[in-house]
Amino acid sequence: MMGKRLLSMLMASVALAAAGVTAEAKTVLHVMHQGDPGWVSTYGEVAKRFEAANPDVDVELIYAPHDAYNEKFSAAVMSKQLPDVMELDAPFLANYVWSGYLQPIKPLIDQDVLDDMTASNIAQGTYPIDKDLYAIGLTDSSVVLYGNRKYLEAIGARIPKSVDDAWTQEEFEGYLEKLAKVDGVKWPIDTFRGYGIKTEWITYAYGPILQSAGCDLIDRTTWKSTGTLDSDACVKALTMMQTWVKNGWVVPQSSGTNQFFAEGHPAALALGGHWFYAEAAASMKDDIVVMPLPKFGPKGASPNGTWIWGITTASEHPDIAGKFVSFMLKDKLYRDYATADSGYPGLKSFAAASPLYDTGGPLAVAFEQASKTAVARPPHPAYPVITSTFMQAVDEIFNGGDAKTALSAAAAKIDEDIEENDGYPPFDEQQ
Amino acid sequence: MSDIAISTPQAQMTRTRSAVGSLRIVQTACILVIALVIVSPLFMLLIASLKDDRFQILADMGSFRAFWVSDPTLANFAEVGNFSGELAFGRYLLNSLIILALTVGSGLIVNSMAGFVLAWGSVRGRALILSLVIALYVIPQESIIMPLVIMVSRAGMTDTFAVQIVPWIASPLYIFLFYQFFAQLPKELFEAAQIDGASIFRIYRSIFLPLSLPALATVSILMGIESWNQYLWPILVTQTDYARPIAVAIATFFGQDSIYWDRAMAASVLMMLPILALYLAFQRWFVSSFVGSAVKG
Repeated sequence: MMGKRLLSMLMASVALAAAGVTAEAKTVLHVMHQGDPGWVSTYGEVAKRFEAANPDVDVELIYAPHDAYNEKFSAAVMSKQLPDVMELDAPFLANYVWSGYLQPIKPLIDQDVLDDMTASNIAQGTYPIDKDLYAIGLTDSSVVLYGNRKYLEAIGARIPKSVDDAWTQEEFEGYLEKLAKVDGVKWPIDTFRGYGIKTEWITYAYGPILQSAGCDLIDRTTWKSTGTLDSDACVKALTMMQTWVKNGWVVPQSSGTNQFFAEGHPAALALGGHWFYAEAAASMKDDIVVMPLPKFGPKGASPNGTWIWGITTASEHPDIAGKFVSFMLKDKLYRDYATADSGYPGLKSFAAASPLYDTGGPLAVAFEQASKTAVARPPHPAYPVITSTFMQAVDEIFNGGDAKTALSAAAAKIDEDIEENDGYPPFDEQQ
Repeated sequence: MSDIAISTPQAQMTRTRSAVGSLRIVQTACILVIALVIVSPLFMLLIASLKDDRFQILADMGSFRAFWVSDPTLANFAEVGNFSGELAFGRYLLNSLIILALTVGSGLIVNSMAGFVLAWGSVRGRALILSLVIALYVIPQESIIMPLVIMVSRAGMTDTFAVQIVPWIASPLYIFLFYQFFAQLPKELFEAAQIDGASIFRIYRSIFLPLSLPALATVSILMGIESWNQYLWPILVTQTDYARPIAVAIATFFGQDSIYWDRAMAASVLMMLPILALYLAFQRWFVSSFVGSAVKG
């Protein structure tokens, strides 16, 4: 009896050990991401489908909350626990590549997926030094001008039909002034100050206003900010925005981010992201008008870039990592969720299948901006400093500070960081 | 002359009573205002958790409408119950409870022992050790967090419950708090036990520890709150959701483009309940420790 029990225990141990060997034989792919509950669930489902199609691979998802993602990434770097695949915010790509964390992905991603990328998607994933592709996404992003049809009709405003006939600065400011006097309008425009300065919003959405006005956050040839960010054009543009705030035309930060469609529709216009459409349209139905961003100079400008997927240099299985990214970008249910979430297309096939962005769709003009006016945020390793410094300067200006003083101080701080890092070679050789 | 009122003892007493009454009204009003300031965010949280429109919650936040719900619903709590993260919401809650119980339980033992030995043990360089303990307390947690991440990573502790418990068991603040409490107890207690032949551990366990309920309650609550609210540390040292606490799960509701205020508020209410229960359970001793009701020699 005792002998039989021992034998069965031995057999069970052997079976368990064998199972262990099988489990160890599997390749474990670590994928780091952020996102709300819907996205977390979607990534989980994609991972399961990938595992079913590739039984020799285990996908381990590493979730990090959106607001602590950079800290999690830093911890992963310091503890040498970088994942194989990671989601990253596009403007941070140059910093990550320069630091040696990402590897080129062209040899790793399916060719049909690479061929499907929009120009803006390629731009957001390209490192300017070697012009190679380091990240890819299903989606991209943009900002448009939303309008309340009733208010616009009340002032007889011209409704632009395409990016080419966007409002000029004179038209735009004229309409703001008129809208301020319309019954029911508490604020002519919501520029989403409610997002605060801890998100990317200010650099992302207000940066194109500077670019359209003829300046930038930094000179993209010399990589010097002084003389560019504090140039007359930038000072004039931000003084113009400060005047909107002083006139009481802009929804204040304390009033949240939904005054455009809140009860009574107190805001007449909204300078909002593509994702805002779903929220606003649910409440306003046909009263919502989607227009291109106004031109503040001879040419228009709009933002791009979102969270995209890269493969780290720490990956021991870059081929499988590439296979996973290709699988995910083609996955129908993943695309369906992105469509339901108003995902802005970064792949042409996704755009064609998205009724929101396809020709005649309500956000078609937003997608038109991707090919005509999109300007990527400065692709430079100093971007984390550029964005935080610029956002603080804008906040200071909106709170009544002098535009020239604030921008000069910000430009000096950006240049100081670049100098402290010896120009982030080889970026210094581009001059 | 006849117009001049002469103050009688009764009149003086009436005036005194009236002054005392006025003072009480002012005191009560002040207490009410302070209570309102403290309670109003919690009340707002509770009210917001009963609203089913996340955009409305955001819009209401700037006005008194934040304290009123016309159409209360428990839908947000149901949504949280059906949380679509890696694990069920209840599991994150359980993880937090496990981490809290083990951290506080071990913390009470380790810190009280250290405090007792420093107060009554034969320790060489006691003053120096105490100075070091206080000096350690001054160092902010943020400054040591990254080196600590590297240490626990090299020790192979990442992604476990242990990594969220062990580094926070010993705390200079609580060692010092226990030291102060034990040092106040009468010397006669220690000497009498020694004469009776009790070992130092026996004196600690059977005499001093039972007398230190206020200190134990205070440390339990402070340590409990600290452990319960851990957010950045678990994110840095865990890869999967297996051992992650509720605070990290709630952060999921704050997405890239959208914030689910409705569910975040309901989840926050649920997160608040256990720590509130802990406070209520130990409240009596917690308060008494602050008013200095320790045994006097």
